[in-house]
Amino acid sequence: MEYEVVIGLEVHVELATNSKIFCSCSAKYGAEQNEHVCPACCGMPGMLPIVNKKVVDLGMTAGMMLNCHINRTTTFDKKNYYYPDLPGAYQTTQLFAPICVNGRVDIETSKGKKSVRIKQIHMEEDAGKLVHDDWRDLTMVDYNRTSVPLVEIVSQPDLSSAEEVVAYLERLRSLLRFAKVSDCRWEQGSMRCDVNLSVREKGSDKLGVRTEMKNMNSLAAITRAIEYETARHIDAIVNKTEELVQETRRWDDEKGKSFAMRTKETAGDYRYFPDPNVMPVVIDDVWYDRIKATLPEFPEIKKQRYMEELGLGDFDASSLVESRAFCDVFEEAYAECGLAKDVANWILKDCANLLNKKQMTADMLAIDGRALGKLIKLVADEKVGRANAKFILAEIFEGATDPEKIAEEKGFIVSNDTGLIEKVVAEIVAADPKSVADYKGGKEKAFMALFGKCMRELRGNCNPQVLRELLLKEIEKA
Amino acid sequence: MQDLLDTLEKVNQLALTQDEKASVQAYFERVAQDLPSFAEVDTQNVTPMVYVMPLSNVLREDESSQPFTRDDLQKGAPEAEDGYWEVPRLIE
Ligand SMILES: [Zn+2]
Repeated sequence: MEYEVVIGLEVHVELATNSKIFCSCSAKYGAEQNEHVCPACCGMPGMLPIVNKKVVDLGMTAGMMLNCHINRTTTFDKKNYYYPDLPGAYQTTQLFAPICVNGRVDIETSKGKKSVRIKQIHMEEDAGKLVHDDWRDLTMVDYNRTSVPLVEIVSQPDLSSAEEVVAYLERLRSLLRFAKVSDCRWEQGSMRCDVNLSVREKGSDKLGVRTEMKNMNSLAAITRAIEYETARHIDAIVNKTEELVQETRRWDDEKGKSFAMRTKETAGDYRYFPDPNVMPVVIDDVWYDRIKATLPEFPEIKKQRYMEELGLGDFDASSLVESRAFCDVFEEAYAECGLAKDVANWILKDCANLLNKKQMTADMLAIDGRALGKLIKLVADEKVGRANAKFILAEIFEGATDPEKIAEEKGFIVSNDTGLIEKVVAEIVAADPKSVADYKGGKEKAFMALFGKCMRELRGNCNPQVLRELLLKEIEKA
Repeated sequence: MQDLLDTLEKVNQLALTQDEKASVQAYFERVAQDLPSFAEVDTQNVTPMVYVMPLSNVLREDESSQPFTRDDLQKGAPEAEDGYWEVPRLIE
């Protein structure tokens, strides 16, 4: 008998907003405990939630990127449960009229192409963080994340291997980051995933017993968890090692095993009902069209355009479309200078280096693309040397917009004055007869030393080819 | 009725005394008596009313501000230390 695994995912993504979903507290990650709280998100009585418009914008954007139908009237509901990570004893979420339904995500794996159906996307608030203190035998509560806006993306059970799950999650991440819906950082919890899994006889249309693993936060752990659970289910079915029950399990990545969580008898009894304090959101055509107009090109379409129209190679084009910020800067700079290959190099090498030094990610590149384009043009026109151009790039990182002005102020404009170069070359050669003799004796390195001295004296402001020729001529004379 | 009460007690994390249980049960039974009369009303074509006010799109711009300090908010807390609220230990 052959078996197949059936997997559906619930992916939680924190939205890229400044403030929380129902109050004006900051949604920024990484603050001190309970720095971003107010009476509303602390669940104080009498506080009224007011929906953050940007949350609806981003919910719609997510839906459009995933080919969903957008519900033009969308409402919020209360999911009741008693646990101190949500101080009001309920989570405000969407059950009856979620913002998006019936979408589709296309993926590609070693087995070919496949469409994964999206059941729905709903907007909701995140929960707070609990820190258990064993020593003092109590639980400490931090409400910074409480009410941070999320969308939950619920797929149909269309996935049938860990490889497909990874392809699906990577695709989701790429699309959502491209549309600036979320930064989707697994390590910060802004993207996480519940895995629903069951096993059945191959070809059967009846689903097996389903188990759920919640809050998975890395692709590697998800892969291992799926492989382990699949094997456990098959073993249970074939060898009757245990009786499978529908339950939530905890994945312990260090032990490489899943464990049954103590089942709460009342789990799942959330007594959902419409939240009368949050008024319905009605999306008219103007609003819908405004969001539609902001959608980015899909990354693979951009990549193809970069290759076919702008002549970039596969590697450069693929690397650029990893990050929407890279693409934005690339397109601005290209429009300014028209040198696609150079712009790609400057972004993927020099900008990436600077980001690295500042411990920033690609998505955090926020420089003036036109300034980068102007700088690249100055280098291409041999008005500024490459080494000096790197200094100017650092200034552009700090917000500078006029590279030519910086070049003039710093004395970085390449001199076409061969008289000046000849003068410097003559002085350097006269002052260092040893290097000249070494070079004539066959030491290639000695030439580079002389060349470097000249370049330094000229502060990098000369065409290296011209300097090279003049220096060789001077050495011959010496 | 007893089952319903037990469930509600559990999901709301309450521990009612026998006297409280009896009084809540009496109240619930009174409500239950009235329910059949609601069922007589024809609600076939009536949309359930959720919102009292005919309002939609009560929205705010995405601007953040922090008008309350942590200390303000924790003044009334039974237990708070080092910026955290503290609650009885929970096991999952
Ligand atoms: Zn708040």
